[in-house]
Amino acid sequence: MKLAMRFVGLLLALYFPASAYAQQDPVQQVGQVALQQRGQLAESALLDVGIAIFDDGVPSDVSTHRELGIYPKVREVESRYLPVTLRQTLVASNAWGVVRVLPEASSLSEVWIEVRILESSGLRLRLFVTARDATGRAWLERDYLDESAETDYPIAPGSEPFANLYHSIANDLLAIRESLAENQLRDIRRVAFLRYAASLSPEAFAGYLAEEAGQYSVQRLPAEGDDMIARVERIRNQEYLFVDNVDEQYISFKGEMAPAYDLWRQYDREQAIYRLEYQQRVANRDKQGRRGSFSAMQQTYNHYKVSKIQQQDIRDLALGFDNETAPTVLETSGKVFRLTGTLDSQYHEWQGILRQIFALETGLPVEE
Amino acid sequence: MRLCISKFTAAVFCTMLMQACSSEAPRPSGASAATAGVDFSGAWEVDYSQSDNIRDTYESIIRDLRRQAERRQRGANQGGGSMSAGGGAGGDIYALARMAEVITDIQLLDIDQNQQEISVKREGSFALMCEFHAGRLHTEETPLGKEVCGWDGHQLVFQIYLPDGLSIFHRMTLGPQGKRLNMATTVRSDQVTYPFTLDRVFNRYDPNNSGFRCKQTLTRGRVCTTEAPEQ
Repeated sequence: MKLAMRFVGLLLALYFPASAYAQQDPVQQVGQVALQQRGQLAESALLDVGIAIFDDGVPSDVSTHRELGIYPKVREVESRYLPVTLRQTLVASNAWGVVRVLPEASSLSEVWIEVRILESSGLRLRLFVTARDATGRAWLERDYLDESAETDYPIAPGSEPFANLYHSIANDLLAIRESLAENQLRDIRRVAFLRYAASLSPEAFAGYLAEEAGQYSVQRLPAEGDDMIARVERIRNQEYLFVDNVDEQYISFKGEMAPAYDLWRQYDREQAIYRLEYQQRVANRDKQGRRGSFSAMQQTYNHYKVSKIQQQDIRDLALGFDNETAPTVLETSGKVFRLTGTLDSQYHEWQGILRQIFALETGLPVEE
Repeated sequence: MRLCISKFTAAVFCTMLMQACSSEAPRPSGASAATAGVDFSGAWEVDYSQSDNIRDTYESIIRDLRRQAERRQRGANQGGGSMSAGGGAGGDIYALARMAEVITDIQLLDIDQNQQEISVKREGSFALMCEFHAGRLHTEETPLGKEVCGWDGHQLVFQIYLPDGLSIFHRMTLGPQGKRLNMATTVRSDQVTYPFTLDRVFNRYDPNNSGFRCKQTLTRGRVCTTEAPEQ
């Protein structure tokens, strides 16, 4: 019996990789982290940050989804929802310039953040974060893991069960930015501008930059009062207008999703804990009757039945979440469909228009 | 019934040992829904008049085992061999029969099926779910049991392996014109060498004739509408 219980215990540990109850994670949890905030910073210390919508981390092999506890529709929502939470955290730190959520990586930002969702449930959130500045310098490339507490639920409006994780990312970014000298910050801004200009017209601006193994440096600077620079600035401002609009839509999407998503996380956590505790109770329970007797078989069957019903409740919750969010997701896509296609294709289209305007004004060829 | 069983315990046990060699578990082959070409989707209600009666099935098994045991006994007497005795085997078949009754006590099925998966929701029990992966079976394992499912020709088979040697196989077959569904449930125990199979027959019914269609949402619970579904 003891051996059997040990075996069940081992199985539990293998089956619940998502739970801190059963597994020692190779990745450290972020723990309690207070968000570091700054007062009024000089303009020269501020860098603009771009956050791409998150990679949903859904494996292409659909046969693995159920085993991994991944609900692709929920992840699809999360890939747009979670970046806005990170954005709001960075804004709250008061340590950055403009922070925007964008459909894809862009040369527009001075610091660029890309995130892959490794795990997301009501119980745990694990993200792989990559951050780089415009010069190509790597800022972050690491896993962040946080586990929610019972006191995090129900989620009060405006609060976040995994706030510590976002605080940790924001603090790490801030520490790196503060480790940079003023001239390094200035170089980042200059390189960002010149990379943007080169994306409009490589012919005119490629000579200002040197690139080696993904690292960019300023070779020379355009002359003061250069008309071309004024045009680039004007085009860039046009692009800012567009991306600010896109960013607004992601924020409004989060606002609309929050009640349903918060409930989903709360139920998901409750179900995960119930499942774990139930299986632990089963493992510790005495057998009824001898093996092969009706009472023993009924007990075995009922344990399985209860665990399956509970597992299916989670699926039904995910379906309920899909039913509720699907119209809004479509509506959000609909709003930005006014240009054409998806948000990233609209962005491409807009960038194309700006490049053509720039080419018309300067007489320089447009980069294809 | 228990009294009746005890008279034949020894003979039945011996026969069951013989039967065990020939009774194989169903072996579903992996295929996609498209290749199986069978669509179980819809709402189904049990038809007791067409389904097996558990008592009749049980008694038929016992009669069968009794006859086989008698034949074995005669053969043993003529050949001078001896018959080994096993305690409680008949009683364990009765336990299997009771388990089959518990497992198949389902009145309604609600089945959703597409190219990728099938969900057989069973009223009062857990749903049987299967994902279709070309060329391989769908397997799901938890500390409390293991499920394997897939197509076996035009039949859909679910195999559930539970601790302590208990296993349950469901074999679903669609009847002519798709109006009838047969679910054969076989319960096995490693303590009983003879499995117990019970057939349940289901007929299609229309759950929407109440005029309502409902869907589950997270913040508003179950939301029902009288509007016609979008085409």
